[in-house]
Amino acid sequence: MILPLTREDLKVIGYNMSKIVYLIGVLLFLPIIVAVIYGEFDVIPCFLVGIAIAFIFGSLLHHFLKTEKEMELKHALVMAALIWLVAPLLASVPIWLANATASYLDASFESISGFTGTGLTLATDIDHLSHSINFLRHFLQFLGDGIGIIVVSLSILGTTEMSSVLAFKGEAKDVGIRPSIVRTSRIIIGIAVTFLLIGTILFTAAGVYAGLDPGTAVFDGLNHSMTGYATGGFSVRSQNLLYYHNVWIEVAAIVIMIIGALNFNLHYAVLGGKRREILRNMEVRVLLLFLVVFGMFVSANLLQLNLYSSGEALFRKGVFHVISAQTTTGFQTVPSSILMFVWPVLSILLLSIAMLIGGCANSTSGGIKLLRVGVLFKSLVMDIKRALLPKSAVVKGSFHHIDDVPLTDTVVKGAAVIALSYLILFSFGTMITVAHGYSMEDSMFETSSALSNVGLSSGITSPAMPATLKVTYMFLMWAGKLEIIAIFVLIGFIILALRKGIRK
Amino acid sequence: MGLRKFSLRAFLKKNFDFITGILSEAGLTAVIMGVTLVICVLLALISQ
Amino acid sequence: MKKISLLIAIFLLLTPGIVRAESGRELLENAAGFDGKQVTYSGEVIGVLMSGDFAWVNILDNGYPIGVWCRATDAKKVSIIGDYKHLGDTVQVTGIFHMACAEHGGDLDIHADNLTVLEAGQELDRSVNLLLAAIGVILVVIAFLITFHLWRLRKEKEKIFPWPFH
Repeated sequence: MILPLTREDLKVIGYNMSKIVYLIGVLLFLPIIVAVIYGEFDVIPCFLVGIAIAFIFGSLLHHFLKTEKEMELKHALVMAALIWLVAPLLASVPIWLANATASYLDASFESISGFTGTGLTLATDIDHLSHSINFLRHFLQFLGDGIGIIVVSLSILGTTEMSSVLAFKGEAKDVGIRPSIVRTSRIIIGIAVTFLLIGTILFTAAGVYAGLDPGTAVFDGLNHSMTGYATGGFSVRSQNLLYYHNVWIEVAAIVIMIIGALNFNLHYAVLGGKRREILRNMEVRVLLLFLVVFGMFVSANLLQLNLYSSGEALFRKGVFHVISAQTTTGFQTVPSSILMFVWPVLSILLLSIAMLIGGCANSTSGGIKLLRVGVLFKSLVMDIKRALLPKSAVVKGSFHHIDDVPLTDTVVKGAAVIALSYLILFSFGTMITVAHGYSMEDSMFETSSALSNVGLSSGITSPAMPATLKVTYMFLMWAGKLEIIAIFVLIGFIILALRKGIRK
Repeated sequence: MGLRKFSLRAFLKKNFDFITGILSEAGLTAVIMGVTLVICVLLALISQ
Repeated sequence: MKKISLLIAIFLLLTPGIVRAESGRELLENAAGFDGKQVTYSGEVIGVLMSGDFAWVNILDNGYPIGVWCRATDAKKVSIIGDYKHLGDTVQVTGIFHMACAEHGGDLDIHADNLTVLEAGQELDRSVNLLLAAIGVILVVIAFLITFHLWRLRKEKEKIFPWPFH
């Protein structure tokens, strides 16, 4: 029997949220440093307002909702769902005040797209954005998706209570690297910073080679490394990576995208000495398989159309976008209008499927996740075997993911439920987009891009997009980031509150 | 209080696993790029 | 005068391949239609990337950007590149439009024969908005006061009811 909600339940959620709200306020100081470096003093008040609002809100939550009640799993899930709305809304204040977007709704969209590591953008005139606001957009992706806001708060606050463990799980992370959740959080950050540095070096070197001056190369490189590792896809240029017209920028992007799409556990194992894990891991094998298969079919399809006829062009346009889609990054080197009006339907559909499948579990990628797809596929094979073998035969399956994991009904069910939830939301999103007058394949493409937090756009996402569609995509980005379960628990919470009221 | 002399060899030895791990991951990305590039080149050649 | 205008109009209509200045929007949304054709394109310079004897000049026209491959000598004519503090030079280029340039790995670009600076760029007014600055400072002070006040309230409560009795 589900117990009715009490005021204490709401207090637990609000009180624990306050710490993270404070953290957002503190982190908004970083773009101020960037503003000072580039002499953009007119933007600083925008950040001050955002910081002030965060601190006021955080203090009020902290003071009036103070409670000694212990956090339970349901609280953690609801808190994760709410924080992933509240944090972007706070960060959207400086974005809106700096006139980076046409309206506050657009600023919220941009902020949610940042935090969830999606990368669909409503920023107007990116090429004339201030360095600090541009840095904020990219930093949101690194913070929200590259690391995870709850992970960051755990690292800094260093609490090892049950509440922390549960909050961690609420953020759809099930990473068991170290017994202590704080230590695990710090390792995740360590891995992220390591790859951030490597990515920055690669992008900077490629940028200088492409003809950028060193200062610009470093700024662009750092930002693209942040969004590349976070598999976010925001760019400091309106043309995204097409601005550079350089294969080495694209190669650097591919490297960092693939790295970002790999499981944290895998990184920890490989960087800790278990190098064999790289090839034995099921997700890596499935990733390789999908990239090769999708890459081949998309390239062949583009070749059929005579659009790109050289091996180089097929790689830089076909394979690049397959990798961008599969890793759910969203770096793009083809203008959106070309995707919408020129690219063949089959390629658009293949990219949509790649986006829905997504990257590795417990990585910065979105989507249903390769682990779940792998599990479901293996389960299907097992069922076929069972049907063909005599009744008395026992069919047991397993897969290798750091350790050998038995393929039980629970595992399969878990994967199936999430996959089904994604597909339901995907259908819902596609129908709403089609209802706004867009073509079926473009609707599927844009919906999967939002839901799987990818960011590739066929052009539907623009400031001129209808508000109802903006809100729909904001919901999809939010739901996809939390892998949907937390959203359902939140909805369940609200329904419970409405039906049974809130007891004292 | 003397400063320990920085030895590249000692640093590399200590961080051997970490460095070879990075190289393994780089190798994975290289393999992915290599395989897909070969496929693209082959497709282009076949079509001509 | 009328006769001359008519002659010019007929001449322009009959001249093959050359089309009037296209907007970025037209080129991007009807790329297939312009593929391989001579176009005239103008807009603000938002990027110059030198590459030996040649260069990439990224030109933005009303929110629609296109990369232009031109000679380095032409690219050097650009003095101001658009960014937060600057409106870049407005330039016009004429050249062949490629929807998927074979020479440049499938990139959408224009290979320009020439580049003319139509209007020099200028510095943009990014002065501090005093009202916003005042609001920002006031809000920060309010935030500090509220945070401090509430913290003191909690500390006082702890004194009256020392842990674990509050």
